[in-house]
Amino acid sequence: MWLLLVPIGVAVGAFSAAFGVGGGLLMVPVLVLGYGLDQHAAQGTSLVVIIPTAVVGAVAHHRRGLVDWRLALFMAAGGLLGVVAGSRLALATDAETLQTVFGLVVIAAGARLAVQGNRQRHPTR
Amino acid sequence: MVPLLVSVLSLSQHHAHATSLAAVVLIAAGGAAVFGSAGEVHLPIAGFLAVGALIGAPMGARLMARTSEANLKIAFGAFLVIVGTTLVVG
Repeated sequence: MWLLLVPIGVAVGAFSAAFGVGGGLLMVPVLVLGYGLDQHAAQGTSLVVIIPTAVVGAVAHHRRGLVDWRLALFMAAGGLLGVVAGSRLALATDAETLQTVFGLVVIAAGARLAVQGNRQRHPTR
Repeated sequence: MVPLLVSVLSLSQHHAHATSLAAVVLIAAGGAAVFGSAGEVHLPIAGFLAVGALIGAPMGARLMARTSEANLKIAFGAFLVIVGTTLVVG
């Protein structure tokens, strides 16, 4: 059962590097539903996996000249503050409300991007 | 981060994905430190996943570099809609 984690990891790594995301959104459900971890352990474990994965992906992108390191550092600094603030906020807010609000924001951002991409592909429309 | 980099800072979709991933390294390290100190990390599972992920990451980077800006936007947009729907419904 644990060996199955290797091909799952391959998919997570490819996904993470292609989309510039950690991949926790893929790993957490797998670990909770497939491996019986609780939500906290699943999140903690996926965060540990993300570190080396993102390093390798970022280096591959860097070789193609795609990384703006200064911007990445600013975002990381903000992100580190966000990790602390987010944990406190998450503890103070009930999880379901937080999840729904975040989900709606993500859907709106995704729909907007897809529409933009479609316009770029069919500029005459 | 990716939608913000594209809409607010006008980065190309490719640069936004790559730059976001670089920032993710440190943010994940911060999160991992918090969860790790609370004893909420399953190291053997993390190890197996990481072995696979280290193989997959260069593949994903290559795939992204070969994908057109428009198709990358559509793929990432679809990904966000699916994730958001899962969060709202779940």
